[in-house]
Amino acid sequence: MAQVPVQTIHRDPQLFYWILFPITIVMILTGVLRHYASVLMQSAPKKLDQKAIREQRSLLHGINLRGNFHALSKKSFATRRDALVTAFESGAYLKDPERAGQGQPNPLSDPSSMEGMMGMMKNQMAMIIPNTLIMSWINAFFSGYVIMKLPFPLTIKFKSMLQAGVMTKDMDPRWMSSISWYFLCIFGLQSVFNFLLGSDNAASQMAQQMGGMGAAPQMFGPGVDPDKQFKAEAENLAVIEHYSVLDDVEERLLEGITA
Amino acid sequence: MAPSLLFNPAKLPPSEALQLAQQAPVVLQGSSSPSETVDQWATFENLLLACLRTGDDEAAAKCMDQLEARFGPDNERVMALRGLLSEAQAENNGELEAVLKQYDAILEGNSTNLVGHDRLRQLFPDRRFANPPCLRLQPITKRRIALLRSMGRVSDAATALVQLLDFSPTDAEAWSELSDLYFTQGLYSQAIYALEEVLLLSPNAWNIHARLGEVQYMAATTSGSGGGSQQKYLAEALKRFARSIELCDDYLRGYYGLKLVTTRLLKEQAKQAKQTDDGEFTLPDPKTIERLDELATAKLSEIVRHSTLKDRGWRGYDEREVAAARELLSQNGIER
Repeated sequence: MAQVPVQTIHRDPQLFYWILFPITIVMILTGVLRHYASVLMQSAPKKLDQKAIREQRSLLHGINLRGNFHALSKKSFATRRDALVTAFESGAYLKDPERAGQGQPNPLSDPSSMEGMMGMMKNQMAMIIPNTLIMSWINAFFSGYVIMKLPFPLTIKFKSMLQAGVMTKDMDPRWMSSISWYFLCIFGLQSVFNFLLGSDNAASQMAQQMGGMGAAPQMFGPGVDPDKQFKAEAENLAVIEHYSVLDDVEERLLEGITA
Repeated sequence: MAPSLLFNPAKLPPSEALQLAQQAPVVLQGSSSPSETVDQWATFENLLLACLRTGDDEAAAKCMDQLEARFGPDNERVMALRGLLSEAQAENNGELEAVLKQYDAILEGNSTNLVGHDRLRQLFPDRRFANPPCLRLQPITKRRIALLRSMGRVSDAATALVQLLDFSPTDAEAWSELSDLYFTQGLYSQAIYALEEVLLLSPNAWNIHARLGEVQYMAATTSGSGGGSQQKYLAEALKRFARSIELCDDYLRGYYGLKLVTTRLLKEQAKQAKQTDDGEFTLPDPKTIERLDELATAKLSEIVRHSTLKDRGWRGYDEREVAAARELLSQNGIER
């Protein structure tokens, strides 16, 4: 059985110093820069006005009562429930009671939510601009040839990933082009940034994208109608069937000690 | 365990607080290093509190200057600490009044001194904020209430607290302070209400359960309440103490309260009113009360014996609490 001849390509050893190394350094530096740029660009957290805090915390109060009602006696639970249900249904805790029942406002017209969106835009921009620049830099200077050979064999599927920009059909997928090295750096430098900047850094765009996608549905986000939330909470409270953790506690105690 | 500057020294016994405050020169000396560590500012804050407690105002002022230099005088937490310091340095009531006026002026400037960090975190979970959000909010509002209280204007303090709780009803610290205020005024039912709110926020806090039991017991002992409501208070106090023991084994305060309530109930057994079921807790039958009484007695004497002998695993009880338990036991004529 004939052995497949090992491909050897003679590369200038200077490739390593003048291409591989610079790309890596530039990637790391951009990451660090991006981190500090996003720290600088953060708008100071704005203060909420008292009524907004009141609205949210009253709702949380209701949720707490629903979750922990078992710590109370039936009578004190009932008084609290009656008071909260009445207040929730009449909209006493709303930020602006006259707007109740008008449906949710358009989140785009609300200046406070605009600010949040601006922040996100800024972050996106801080990600897109340097990436575009670096990629066009690499494409302009280093495209069209391979720069290194990976020390392990790979299947043919990796060809498109590792040899982007090199249109040679028969070449072993172990050979790698500069643009592929760039992509590898994008995905693989997270731990380097963690080491350099601490785990809470803004250098890696990947983490940010993940965070954006995985965010839980926002409870107090723009576009949620607080009046509806209050009504729903009032309903939830109204249907609770009360029991108390204090029922039969002394029997439990006696049994637990003697057992 | 040696006291650490990483924790709030407010609850430490005096000797340990003094020990902490004596570290002040060392810590202040070492602060000139340029790099910040994670714990550095927590250390400074706690050192400041410890120094204030032990009367070392000079070192406290130095800590304050460091904190102010780092976070700026506009930071809410720094402002509150600054106020605390000037309260401590005030020598007469007039100066305290001045501090109070200062608080009022700050509060006038921005109507809520509660930073909405938690909300911002919720809104933008993927964003970072330049200042570490102060999770333990220590706003000027609370400082002002504390000052009002220490100046003896209790009703003003209560009003301010109720205002605070109106727009922030999920603040356990404020609720417990309110409860304590009412308790000192003898308004037991209000105190009980506020403590129940604390329990809603942290339903498994055994100390709050025991505290609620204590307040209910006090409410039952006051002469004002009639026989029926007295019995209801006692019934719930009994259950609260039982729950606190259930949540925390060998909880001295819980057993102490249980013993108090059962002793009283056994004494008054004869004149127990007919129990009505209107959503309140009812007393268990006399036999259960007796067994609970035995249990509490046994456990209390065990705790007292072990902690007097300083047995391994039985340290950490407050000596005054152990002494009180011993007294209670001897009152009941029980040989240890």
